[in-house]
Amino acid sequence: MLAPVEAKGLSEGLRLYGWMALSRELDEVLCAANPRWFPSAGEEAAMVGAFCDLRPDDAIAAHYRGPLVIYMMRGAEMARLVAQVLGKVGGYNKGRSVPFTGPVDLKIVPWVAGDLGTSLGVATGAALAFQQEGSDRICVCTFGDGTANRGDFHENLNLAASWRLPIVYVCQHNGWAISQPAKDYLPAPVANRAAGYAIPGLEVDGNDVDAVRRTMMGAIARAREGNGPSLIEARTWRAKGHWAADPQDYRAIHPDTPMADPLVRYGDRLIQRGEASATDLDRLRDAARAAVASTLEAVRVLPDTGEAELGLDEVHP
Amino acid sequence: MEAVIEAIAVAMREDPRVFYIGQDVGAMQGSMQGTKGLWEEFGPMRIREAPISESAMVGAALGAALFGQRPIVEISFGEFLPAAMNQLINQAPNLHYMTGGTARVPVVVRTRVGDGPYGGHPQDYSAWFAHVPGWKVVMPATPVDAKGMMTAAIRDDGPVLFFEGMSLSHAARAPVPLDAFETPIGPARIAREGRDVTVVAVGSSLPLAVRAAGELAAEGIELEILDLRTLRPLDRDAILASVRRTRRLITVHEAWVAGGIGAEVVASVVEEAPEVLVAPVIRIGAAAVPVPSGKVRPHALPNARHIVEAARRVMAGTRA
Ligand SMILES: Cc1ncc(C[n+]2csc(CCOP(=O)(O)OP(=O)(O)O)c2C)c(N)n1
Repeated sequence: MLAPVEAKGLSEGLRLYGWMALSRELDEVLCAANPRWFPSAGEEAAMVGAFCDLRPDDAIAAHYRGPLVIYMMRGAEMARLVAQVLGKVGGYNKGRSVPFTGPVDLKIVPWVAGDLGTSLGVATGAALAFQQEGSDRICVCTFGDGTANRGDFHENLNLAASWRLPIVYVCQHNGWAISQPAKDYLPAPVANRAAGYAIPGLEVDGNDVDAVRRTMMGAIARAREGNGPSLIEARTWRAKGHWAADPQDYRAIHPDTPMADPLVRYGDRLIQRGEASATDLDRLRDAARAAVASTLEAVRVLPDTGEAELGLDEVHP
Repeated sequence: MEAVIEAIAVAMREDPRVFYIGQDVGAMQGSMQGTKGLWEEFGPMRIREAPISESAMVGAALGAALFGQRPIVEISFGEFLPAAMNQLINQAPNLHYMTGGTARVPVVVRTRVGDGPYGGHPQDYSAWFAHVPGWKVVMPATPVDAKGMMTAAIRDDGPVLFFEGMSLSHAARAPVPLDAFETPIGPARIAREGRDVTVVAVGSSLPLAVRAAGELAAEGIELEILDLRTLRPLDRDAILASVRRTRRLITVHEAWVAGGIGAEVVASVVEEAPEVLVAPVIRIGAAAVPVPSGKVRPHALPNARHIVEAARRVMAGTRA
């Protein structure tokens, strides 16, 4: 089934709004259906803005929080992704990996075991492949502000800078790593570290999709022209728990400051610019809600994955 | 070792997607001269000097493989594999299976283990990887196999760990065919036929077993030596077939005994046909100490004498 934002004739602004709205709707439904799902509400501008200006032949490695719509932007089927989250047959991963993975043939770096940080390495390798083949393809890799403290962050940024690899690293900084507030593990902005690798390091309002896109454009062009990697820190805010059923008692102990909802901000801007009316926005959200609901309905009745997907003969190619 | 370099050079000439990542693999010609001549022939884009970032090196190799290249990544010594463990255990072996059988990661991880001419970094962690579904793990013991198995590893569409026993780099030389040829990953090889005791030897332990066999022949004890060649997948059929003939089993490798590949070899017999054994089995390996770096080291490692004594004990302990 086509996502509502793939409908013909939408302006660029409305398409972006549509993807963010779809992400929000999908997130809500998945959180209700699977208490272990990782909510991404409030982080849509950072997520969508990082990936919306790539070519289909570029590679992506998306942070585990909120990647499904990013995969759909590249052509992945909502139903197959939802099947992964609900443990139903039909998922791209045949029920064998963490659920937030996407199809490899859409140039997506897959999640397999769910160990944070390793995706920076594989994404860096995608950029290395593009340099080896002499093309102008690039890779964009997003990761959390907690993940930024894995040694892989340092190793890969340093390696990519040394080899001038065509990659953009984007920290989806939502202020939390499970129960830990970022101020306790980040003594300085992540973007500051770029100076140590002599690459551009840019902080951006991660709840402003236009700002994220503008910042990305420069970094994408730089990578495509063979001038090497960049590091972008998109400041956003984790509006919900780490997982859907997270009681978040720690939030009372470490109070934080909410950020304005990126969907509302972008919708208002579209209206201000005269690009859309409130009705247009409502219509898109309704369409997103309907698409998600009917997908969920269809996937819910599928059988659970089980022994048939064990695949003893699929350990080696 | 020249045989390994030769296999890599042939593969790189044949296939532009094959390239090499490692430390000191360029101007220095590689640790222990392990990449001699490659940098001159293929240049710095295909023989890549990497920073001391083993995790990024392996991760980058996996990513490059996922996107159409066929990299070989060298971890100078096996003692540095732990620095890349997340990529080696959580990523490499999982990528194909966990993507529903779609991802292909043709990566060779080449490394060196065991005692060697310089005595540094002797510990052998090969068994850790043989534990993990998704890896193929090889440890050739002869120059011909070193070339043939490196060729097979490069051509494999999945990840292969290629262990070189460092003591073999100065071992007996043998002529190696010049063309590309493959020694399949998996099958073990009978290095010496003998009726009395099967000795399953891994990598650098093969020459020890051959020496022991010579000595024991004078006493009328004939060893059959099985050169294991591949740690995963294990050639259970070849092990069992040999032990069915000799009815006695000794395993020998440079890695530690406990939880080692020798235990897996023994299991492949006792699970299938315990009745064929007429004597207790003996496993030989490194002593249960961290392998010492100094002059204590030889006392911690297996030698031909251990095999000779084990064979005598096995013969003496044979049930009537
Ligand atoms: C290597 C590793 N260590 C720890 C974890 C457990 N873990 C899962 S999510 C998470 C928090 C990650 O924080 P961040 O990168 O900021 O992403 P966020 O959850 O905030 O989106 C942790 C610690 C893990 N999956 N992998």
